[in-house]
Amino acid sequence: MISFVRPLAWLLAIIVALPASTAQAIDIKPLTSPGGVRYWLVQDSTVPIISINFSMAGGAVLDPVGKEGATSLLASVLDQGAGPHDAAAFKTLQDDAAARLGFWAGAERFGGSLRMLRDARTQSVDLLRLALTEPRFDAEALERLRRATIAGLRRGEEQPSSIAARALNRATFGEHPYGRQVSGTAASVAAITLEDLKALAARQLTRNNLIVAVVGDTNAQEIGPLLDRAFGALPSGGPLPEAPTWAPQPPKPGGRLLVVQRAIPQSLALMSLPGIKRDDPDWYAATVMNYVLGGGGFSSRLMNEVRDRRGLAYGASSRLSYYAKGGLFTASVATMNERVAESIAIIRAQFTLMAQDGVTERELTEAKQFLVGSLALTLDSTASIAGLLHQMQVDGLSPDHLGRRKELLERVTAEDVRRAARRLLREDALTIVVVGQPVGLTPTE
Amino acid sequence: MITRRTALSGLLAAGAIAAPRIASAQGAITLPLPGRFGVETFSLANGLRGVVLPSARAPVVLHMVWYEVGGADEPEGQSGIAHFLEHLMFKGTPTVPPGEFSKIVARSGGRDNAFTSHDYTGYHQIVASDRLEMVMEMEADRMTNLVLTEKEVVPERDVVLEERRSRIENSPAALLDEAAREAMFGRRGYGIPVSGWPDEIRKLGVPEAIAFYRRFYAPNNAILIVAGDTSVETVRRLAEKHYGPIARRDVAPRTRSAQHGELPRLVVRRDQRVRQPQWGRDFLAPSYRMGETRHAFALQVAAQILGGSQISRLYRSLVVDKKIAVSANAGYSAGALGLSSFGFGATPAPQGDIAKVEAAVMEEVDRFLQGGVTEEEITRAKRRMLASVVYARDSLASGPHIFGQALTTGRTVADVIAWPERIAAVTAAEIEAAARAVLVPARAVTSHLLPAET
Repeated sequence: MISFVRPLAWLLAIIVALPASTAQAIDIKPLTSPGGVRYWLVQDSTVPIISINFSMAGGAVLDPVGKEGATSLLASVLDQGAGPHDAAAFKTLQDDAAARLGFWAGAERFGGSLRMLRDARTQSVDLLRLALTEPRFDAEALERLRRATIAGLRRGEEQPSSIAARALNRATFGEHPYGRQVSGTAASVAAITLEDLKALAARQLTRNNLIVAVVGDTNAQEIGPLLDRAFGALPSGGPLPEAPTWAPQPPKPGGRLLVVQRAIPQSLALMSLPGIKRDDPDWYAATVMNYVLGGGGFSSRLMNEVRDRRGLAYGASSRLSYYAKGGLFTASVATMNERVAESIAIIRAQFTLMAQDGVTERELTEAKQFLVGSLALTLDSTASIAGLLHQMQVDGLSPDHLGRRKELLERVTAEDVRRAARRLLREDALTIVVVGQPVGLTPTE
Repeated sequence: MITRRTALSGLLAAGAIAAPRIASAQGAITLPLPGRFGVETFSLANGLRGVVLPSARAPVVLHMVWYEVGGADEPEGQSGIAHFLEHLMFKGTPTVPPGEFSKIVARSGGRDNAFTSHDYTGYHQIVASDRLEMVMEMEADRMTNLVLTEKEVVPERDVVLEERRSRIENSPAALLDEAAREAMFGRRGYGIPVSGWPDEIRKLGVPEAIAFYRRFYAPNNAILIVAGDTSVETVRRLAEKHYGPIARRDVAPRTRSAQHGELPRLVVRRDQRVRQPQWGRDFLAPSYRMGETRHAFALQVAAQILGGSQISRLYRSLVVDKKIAVSANAGYSAGALGLSSFGFGATPAPQGDIAKVEAAVMEEVDRFLQGGVTEEEITRAKRRMLASVVYARDSLASGPHIFGQALTTGRTVADVIAWPERIAAVTAAEIEAAARAVLVPARAVTSHLLPAET
């Protein structure tokens, strides 16, 4: 290019000095409490705070048909009163302890988190115990949160991102439980009864596959008994049905294109392809491929082609996600109606190019540099470290995984990436959903 | 060079918070000890101010530069130039080619980005601590050496227009918010969207961007904030080396108009895309820096009591008791150079009536204005606010954002450190006086988001 461009000294330095491994940055201890609760602990006394993340087997796949959103509503109702305390009293106790307690429903797990001040740990953990073991399920709280949930679902119907995600989910998974919405629909949420919530709580609030991560200003002697207090009284729980096997939609030449008409100036396009599961041998190759293609923010090919070179969108990105019974590769872009067809064509061409040629050696090296080096960036609070520890356990990884991850990534070759790309980026398996008033796109169905 | 480090230690010691015990119906409630941000400061001869928040949790640093310029400082007819320039700051210098800044950071395992508000513009990178000098060198480089060409600027203008479509034009609620801000502040300053108006964005090019850059991007108009695994000595040494040589530039002091729109106003947006109506009312309010600033702390406590949680007055009345809304809240931020607003918002329950919601909120506001805020309410509100400081200290990014926002809106490090004390000292009489001064119907903008008429 221009000969005046002189690399700064560190540009050369980087080539020889890869970022230091950050695995040593945290010391993960796999432990068992006196009462038999297994957990991972990272001690960190930077701030007098303790974060606990946990989850158990369950999730929205257990919602009865026609009552989608029930487990999600259970998560909302669970901190609305427990034991002798009604909703307002229970919130007040959380405020008094300055504790932050919350629950969530995923597709395949039910979980929660507690962030607390070290000095208020006993009273904070007692609130978690009460919520898990003596939830009140007051009719008032259910109706109040049902109204709020329905209002939230309606607001989602105004938002292109949420409209598109729902349509893509349906188109990708069809009748499989993964295609159902974790938060349900206005009609299904209206049908949920108190008895439904109690039945779901009995099945899910158990020690079945309980995963616990603790990070912060504490130690095993102190936190073990507190975990027994929080989780010890939960029943061991019976076996839960697994999600059925997922078979992707049959291939179709050129893929599928669905359009959801909405009167908005900018179209949002979401694209999905069947992906791979977390335990797939190609996981790290696919991770590198995704980084180079669309996962790497301003460094990715999609961002360069769609945003930097042509100004077609604020962003264009891709990601890998996974369930117990399958995975997805998804990409997204938002461009004015008149030019969205161009954005989609560019992205599709990039898929094809990646499947044909894979990545360059330089791209491979740079992707590894980021993927190895960026791990430490996520260790910026007790909550984010607890989140990492929780996810590692869900994924079935070992406590020393962070040390091995670097090697697993560095072992990936350009040929591995090309193999993963060819496996994933198949034109005839592509599903595209566009929300807006796109010009020049013909839906296939 | 003047260093404030010694003087500040004294302030830090004075900043220790006592934990007053306050008797209440439910027994003693103790205000939590929020602790303090471990913060050190320095400044360079060219006027650059440095703030360092050391934390050894992970071998990582967050490096930020905040400029004292934002959307409210734009020349007339050039709305969006502050934000557009923020994008263009990634378009290269003689040593870093266009688009390379972020790629270099990523190759080091780091992430970077930038943001623009009405009062400030910030650039940040989070990297392994041994890469601090690298990002500092690049940030210092683009503080003074930015090169812009038509080739880079034209596509980026389309990017900014697409960003505006994503954030604003595709969202009826965001369009209503824009109209309500204009009604409140007029077509000036905070009444102009940070993203700019599309007609004006389309006219922005290299000359406008460079003129704005030359006017505001200077070391004496910037604040360097570094948090994480480093020390003030290291940061100061590196800052001397990389930011130190950049020449000071005359930057005219910023002004904010005390004028506002014609009030009261009702702004209604009927939109066929709307499925869930929304009600809002914003009252013109002082900030820490403009208007009746003595009310700034009391108004924060008032917002908590009225609508800061699920045990607030509004939530209990509208959502729990009357069941006419699914959410009801109040909010107030004092952190602005110019005037601020004290806002209420409520989401009507399905089949709910927006007029009933408005009447119920105002009934609670009237009740509040008549007095009778209890000590228990005040203590609980303060507790929640002070606890937020403890949790903010747990995150690498929270502290730098708090200090960055304060220092670019006319406050000092000492002001931030004193915040918990100032909140703890607010009295019932001050809360009532502040509410009476601000919650005046004649100085409000009411907004209705509604579906299209059928």
